[in-house]
Amino acid sequence: MTKILSVENIELYYDHIYALKGVSIDVDEGETVALIGANGAGKSSILRAITGLRPIRSGQIVYQGHRLDGTSASDIVRRGISMVPEGRRAFPLMSVKDNLLMGAFTRSDKAEIEQTLENVLTRFPRLRERYHQQASTMSGGEQQMMVIGRALMARPRLLLLDEPSLGIAPKLVQDIARAIVAISRDEKVSILLVEQNSRMALSISNRAYALSTGSIALSGNSKDLMNDNRIKAAYLGGEL
Amino acid sequence: MEQIIANGLYLGAQYALIALGLTLIFSLMNVLNFAHGQMYVFGGFVTYTVVVQLGLPFIVGLLASAVILAIMGAVIEKFLFAPVVRRSKRDESTMLLAAGIAFFLDAVILLLFGEKQRGVPKIVNGVFNWDMRIIMPYDRILIGVLAILLIVVFIAFMNYSRAGRAMRALAQDRMAAQLMGVDVARYSMLGLALGAMLAGLVGGLLVTITGVNLGMGGPTSIKAFLMIMIGGAGVISGAIAGGFILGMMESVGLTVLSAYGDITYLVIFATLMVFLAVRPQGLMGKPWG
Repeated sequence: MTKILSVENIELYYDHIYALKGVSIDVDEGETVALIGANGAGKSSILRAITGLRPIRSGQIVYQGHRLDGTSASDIVRRGISMVPEGRRAFPLMSVKDNLLMGAFTRSDKAEIEQTLENVLTRFPRLRERYHQQASTMSGGEQQMMVIGRALMARPRLLLLDEPSLGIAPKLVQDIARAIVAISRDEKVSILLVEQNSRMALSISNRAYALSTGSIALSGNSKDLMNDNRIKAAYLGGEL
Repeated sequence: MEQIIANGLYLGAQYALIALGLTLIFSLMNVLNFAHGQMYVFGGFVTYTVVVQLGLPFIVGLLASAVILAIMGAVIEKFLFAPVVRRSKRDESTMLLAAGIAFFLDAVILLLFGEKQRGVPKIVNGVFNWDMRIIMPYDRILIGVLAILLIVVFIAFMNYSRAGRAMRALAQDRMAAQLMGVDVARYSMLGLALGAMLAGLVGGLLVTITGVNLGMGGPTSIKAFLMIMIGGAGVISGAIAGGFILGMMESVGLTVLSAYGDITYLVIFATLMVFLAVRPQGLMGKPWG
């Protein structure tokens, strides 16, 4: 397996407060990797560092063999990294169509954009039904599908998902989990998934890292972690 | 009655164009462009210079206003707004900067064009007369139609072009737009250039009817603020609604209220205060942020 992304010993600060101190993670080609951990453990900060939204203080991020940190957020998208941000961040006053087209902003191959659009609409038939509807009028679950579709419109090699189950009706969380599995199966894309819903994250990923106050507490195969007593106690909350 | 509506539409189209530029800048950069009126006056003087002093056709003058103001907007964004926005998190800083630019432009206009009222000779002659019900000079009709045409082009650009979509995305969610690969610095610059260009175009249009002078900048800015407050700041439909509403109010006021003296704007301001107390976000304003 070749590595598509390696985050090497990065530190990230908000003003003078650290969010990450010496975090290293790897993602292989075609693999789904989960980052789990409590609120404020630094999961989202890792994604913000990768997408260039926050500068890192030390360490480095290597993507497809090239240094990524220091690159501007818009160039990072051009290099094949798409993110579905926390809280969805749909463009509320735009139609589903325009939201999806924004996802392809960095592309100029008209015919192929049409093809990707068709794929996304086939993957999420709900979006085809709501194609001309304003995004803000849709349910949270529908918006989540839309922003996942929006990220796919860029035809990413690495897809970052930040809390896709947050604020979604429990029944729809399963749909989203299934959609992520299907995307990983159908597209040539590696997935880095940040989730507070650790059970869901572990059940659909190959490997996982557990974060605790800005550093990696545990890592390993998702199956093993699912049965790990420390993980059970800290993240899976007893029975269920 | 017909006359009042015709006047209102003519005026409203100009106002809507001014308000569109202001609201575009506001929605993209969260900056209230206090210098908008000065940009309008500058555009008027550029057209005057090209048409009267250089003797070139009106359309060349209008295009010159558009190009020069677009460049001015881009330069102001890149060298003044962008560095301030980067270093200061407080909204007051950009507001003060915008006010400073307004004074600066006033001084530049005085230096370059002087303090005299300037106008362009009629671009078309004759008066349209519909049975004494609507009487309007052809040049006003032409300018009104041009303004409406520009509004249509602007809306089409914002709705259907890739750059227009990117600017709407940036206005609605800055971070999400960045994640789509929109270069914020570049599109902020484009937005301010476009907003300034609209102001310059209206200046170029109206210099043929009312002329321009140095003192018009401030009051024009105030009118533009009125319009986007009526319509809702940062919303395209709101700017257009606000422009036409103010145009109509002025047209009605000048006809109906003139018997009581020069109180049109007094009435407009009083009405607006009541209106904003009831609906502070304006007609089409977003209830959030």
